[in-house]
Amino acid sequence: MNLLQQVLDGLSSGSVYATLALALVLVHRSTGIVNFAQGQMAVISTYVAWTLYDAGVPVWGAIGAAIVLSLVVGALVERFLIRRFEGGEPLAAIVVTVGLLISVNGLVSLIWGTVLKQFPSAFPPGGVGSGSGGTIGYGTLGTIGALLVVVLALNWLFRHTRLGLAFRAVAANPESSALLGLPVGRLLMLGWGLAAAVGALAGCLVAPKLYLAPEMMDSVLTYALAAAVLGGLNSALGTVLAAWFIGVVENLAGTYVSFVGGDMKIAVPLVLMVLILLLKPEGVFGHKEVRRV
Amino acid sequence: MSVVVDEPAVMDGGGTSRRRRGRALTAVALVLVFAVFPLVMSPFANLQVTLILVYAVAILGLDILVGWTGQVSLGQSAFFGIGAYGVAAGAVHGWPVWAGLLLGTAVAGVVGCLVAIPAARLRGYALGMITLTLPVVAVPLAKRMEVVTGGAQGLNVTIVQAPGWTGLAADQWRYYVVGIGAAIVFALAAALRRGRFGRAFDAIRVNEALATAQGVHVTRYKVLAFTLSSVYGGVAGVLYVVAVQFISPETLVLTLSISMLAGLAIGGLRSLLGCVLGAAFYVVVPNLTGSVSAGQSYLLYGVCLLVVMLLMPRGVAPALGHAVRRVANRRERAAASGE
Repeated sequence: MNLLQQVLDGLSSGSVYATLALALVLVHRSTGIVNFAQGQMAVISTYVAWTLYDAGVPVWGAIGAAIVLSLVVGALVERFLIRRFEGGEPLAAIVVTVGLLISVNGLVSLIWGTVLKQFPSAFPPGGVGSGSGGTIGYGTLGTIGALLVVVLALNWLFRHTRLGLAFRAVAANPESSALLGLPVGRLLMLGWGLAAAVGALAGCLVAPKLYLAPEMMDSVLTYALAAAVLGGLNSALGTVLAAWFIGVVENLAGTYVSFVGGDMKIAVPLVLMVLILLLKPEGVFGHKEVRRV
Repeated sequence: MSVVVDEPAVMDGGGTSRRRRGRALTAVALVLVFAVFPLVMSPFANLQVTLILVYAVAILGLDILVGWTGQVSLGQSAFFGIGAYGVAAGAVHGWPVWAGLLLGTAVAGVVGCLVAIPAARLRGYALGMITLTLPVVAVPLAKRMEVVTGGAQGLNVTIVQAPGWTGLAADQWRYYVVGIGAAIVFALAAALRRGRFGRAFDAIRVNEALATAQGVHVTRYKVLAFTLSSVYGGVAGVLYVVAVQFISPETLVLTLSISMLAGLAIGGLRSLLGCVLGAAFYVVVPNLTGSVSAGQSYLLYGVCLLVVMLLMPRGVAPALGHAVRRVANRRERAAASGE
C-alpha cells in the first residue's frame, strides 16, 4: 500500500461524501433546511437502479433512469411535504426530514427486504499502473471524475442559464423574487429535485464499494453533513474541498496511525473539523452573515 | 431562527379562583393516578412509564438548550451515556448509588461545560455539527475503555433494590424512584424557567444583540444553558440504568440524540408537559406500530411522526393547551351569559 494510493482512495470516498454534501447544500440554499433524509432518499434511488439493472437494463441506463426518477420524486417531496414547514419553526422542519428518513428506511426494508445486495460498478474492473506502486482502480478514478462532472454541470446550470439565475435569485431573496414574477415554488421544487438526483448518483457510486443495504448511507451522511457545514453550507467549492479533506484524513489516519484504527477513524476528521470551526465559525469558505438587530 | 415570543414564562398570575381550584384538583388527581398506577398495572406497563419519565428528563434537558435558549444540539445521547456509565461503573466497583449519581452528572456537566465554552460562539448548524461529533466519538470510545465501560458488551448492574419493608416488586420500586427523581428535576426546571435564568435564556433566543443590550451576558448564559442541558442528560442516563439495570455503547448512538430532538418537536418546545408527551411518543409508538405489524413497524413509526408534525407543527402540548383553553373560555362565557 503506498501513499499515493491511500490518498487517491481517500479522495474517492471524499468524492462520494462531496456528492451527497452538494445535495445537502442545494436543499439548504433553496429552502434553508438541512435534510437528514438526503442519504436515505439516495438509498431508495439506488435500490431503484438495482431493480432496473436486475431486470436487464445496462448499468448506466439504470443509474440514469434512477437519477431522473429521483429528480421528479425529490421535487414532489418538496411540494407536498416540506412546503408546509418552510418559514416555520426550524426544528419542526428538521424533524420532518427525520420522519422522512425513518419512513423511507422502513419503505426500503418493506419492498426490498434487509438482505444485502450486490450493486454493479459503473466502471470497468482493473486500474492504472501496477507492480510495487500498486494499482489505482478505474472505480476510484471514475468516482472522482463523476464528482467533477456534477460540479461542472451544476456550475454551468447556476452560472450560465436563465434557470440557474432565477434559482439563485430565489435562494438569495424569495420575497423579492416573487415580486419580480419568478415562480418561487417551482424553483424550490427544482432545488429539492436536483438534490435528490445528485444524491442518487452518490448512492450509485458508493453502492459497489459496500453492499446495497437500507443503512448504506448513514455514515456517508455524517461525513456529508460535516463537509457541508465546514464548507459553510452555501459554497460548492468549499464543500468539495472539505469532503476531500475528510476522506483523505480519515483514510490516512485509519491506515497509518495504529492508535486510531478502523473504529475511531470517523472521529479524526470530525475532531479536526471542530477545531477548524472553532477558529473560523462561518466555515472555511462560507460568507460571514451580517446580522441586524 | 424565527422570532416568536410565545407563551409567557409564568403561566399563572390571573385566572379566576374556580380555575385555580380546578388546577389544584387536577394536580392532586394526577399524583394519585401516578401513585396507584404501578400497584395495579403489569411490570411491562410500569417499565414503559418508567422509561417515558427517563427520556422526558433527557428531552427536558434538550429543551433548556433548544427550546429555551434557541441553540441546536445533536449531542444529548453522549451526556445520557456519561451519566449512565457513571452510575453503572460506580456500581460495579461497589459504590453507593448516590455516589454514582454525583459522578455521572458531574462528569456530564463538566464535559458539557468544556464543550460549551468554545462552542458558545457558534450558532445554528455549526453548533449542531460540533455536538454531532460527541456521540460519533462517544460510541467507539465507550467500546474501547473496556476497564470502565465493559466494552461492547456493556455493563449489567443490580442497583436500587426494593427494601423488604415496602413489599414492592423491583419494577414498582424503580418506578417510584425514577418518578420522584424526575419530579424533582422537573420542579427545578420549572422554577428556573420562571426566574432570572429563564428570562435570560428567553432573551438570548429571541434576539442576542437585544439581550446584550439588556445586560444579559450572552456567552455566559449560553454556556450555562449547555451545562444544565448536559447535567439533565446525565441525570436521565442515571435514571435509565436504575430503570433497566444495563448500559451498552449501542444506547448512546447518534440516533438516540436525533430521536430526542424529534420527541422535543413532537411534544412541543418550552413545555414541561411537551417533554413528557414527546418521550411517550418515543417509547410507546414503536411498540404500538410493532404490534400492528412487525415487518412494517419502522415505516409506520416514521409515518406517525410525519402525520403528527403535519397536524400539529408546533407540537402536541401547545395543540392540547389551545384546545383546553378554548373549551374553558366557552364554558366561562356560557356561565357569564347565564348569570
